[in-house]
Amino acid sequence: MKRRRLRTSLALAVAGAAATASLLWAAPKVGSVVTVRVMSAKVMKAPKFIGAASGGVSRGDQLTVKEVKGDWYRVEGRVSGWINRTSVMEGGVALSSKPGGGGGASRDEVELAGRGFTPDVEEKYRGSHPELDFSHVEAIEATQIDFTELEAFVTEGGLGGAP
Amino acid sequence: MRRGRIVAVALAAALGGLSCKVNLTPEGIMQTVDAIKDARKDLTPENEYWTGRSVATNLLARHDYQYRDADALRAGRLEGLTAYVSAVGGVLAASALETRRDGDRPAPIGGWHFLVVESDTINAFAAPGGWVFVTTAAVEAAKTEDELAAVIAHEIAHVARGHALGSIKKGRWAGVAKTALDTSVELDEQALGDLTKVFEGAMDDMIDGILVKGYSKDTEYEADKVGLAIMAHAGYDPQAFVRYLKTLDAKQHTGSGGFSATHPKASERIQKVEGQAKTLGTRKIPEIRVARFRAAVSGDD
Repeated sequence: MKRRRLRTSLALAVAGAAATASLLWAAPKVGSVVTVRVMSAKVMKAPKFIGAASGGVSRGDQLTVKEVKGDWYRVEGRVSGWINRTSVMEGGVALSSKPGGGGGASRDEVELAGRGFTPDVEEKYRGSHPELDFSHVEAIEATQIDFTELEAFVTEGGLGGAP
Repeated sequence: MRRGRIVAVALAAALGGLSCKVNLTPEGIMQTVDAIKDARKDLTPENEYWTGRSVATNLLARHDYQYRDADALRAGRLEGLTAYVSAVGGVLAASALETRRDGDRPAPIGGWHFLVVESDTINAFAAPGGWVFVTTAAVEAAKTEDELAAVIAHEIAHVARGHALGSIKKGRWAGVAKTALDTSVELDEQALGDLTKVFEGAMDDMIDGILVKGYSKDTEYEADKVGLAIMAHAGYDPQAFVRYLKTLDAKQHTGSGGFSATHPKASERIQKVEGQAKTLGTRKIPEIRVARFRAAVSGDD
């Protein structure tokens, strides 16, 4: 049933190339569930990108929407606070911690990720390019900029606000 | 499941003949059932993530994997000049999110990563999926944090506008069977081979655009325009963008390669952005911003 809902929500028609996803976007209903799509995100104490956070969430975490304020959702779950809509997708979807579409990924995740360039493709590409050292990007992607720590950097440097 | 697809096809026929699967996230990327027509629009954020890793690896390989604070980064820590550049980049990435437009990709699934590549050539470049690289020479050519922000904002704009993905030649997809892109069909070896062949070609196209031949002039002008808006919104002095271009203009007459090979003449870029910068006004740069820039570049932070 859940899979049918996802597929139905994914399968829409768009009138012409000029149509954009944002035209189709509608805020989630209060009480509905959103799933974290990015690998990690901060749930903020206030609806802004830089500032104090309530805590962190990871790809696949599911949160319940309690309030919608523009592009920000006040959510409750493992962590409660505000999360931007760019970090989540609507609905409760089982997602693996690393963007899926490869072996072991759920059908829903394969649907979401789409075909094209996937972990299977990367693996085959890497097989034919042993000269490339992927250990660098794999290590570096574990580092994340802490947007909560940026608040002091912004304040100290007199940044933010209109010129 | 089938009902959803039938509805989609019927609607597409009624509305203009374009059948798409659409995910409803803000960067909502349309992946056509038939084929990928334009990677900038059609690849999902997950596709972009996997693409970005390989492009970034290729770009690092071309710089012999020499970048600042490598040991700390490989241990999962941001330190030294990399931590400072990442802080500036983080502020700009937040600004890119706040100023995003339809179709922008300012929220990479794997987050943003800012690296300082060891090179005597002034250059900065970016890979899909939020990978931004600034050479040591490009950092040293900046006189203030605001000028460094101009360089990074230009690169964030390339990622947010999907310029590298857009440089993948559309013909690359020609040999791929429709079923290879249909997620309801099991991927077989033939389809995987076809997709990997496209991936190989796409790498060549993107690296050409990013590091070898450069993008079109209009693409660079767009990155300047969007980048300037991003840095101004973050609170940096818009005039710093023009000042850095003037530095590049002075150096462009004496150097080759790097930004000279992949960007329009700095004098032409100045002409294009001067009006926008004037409209955005001037913002006083506090001494602390100058001091912390000097400390970070000299390694005294």
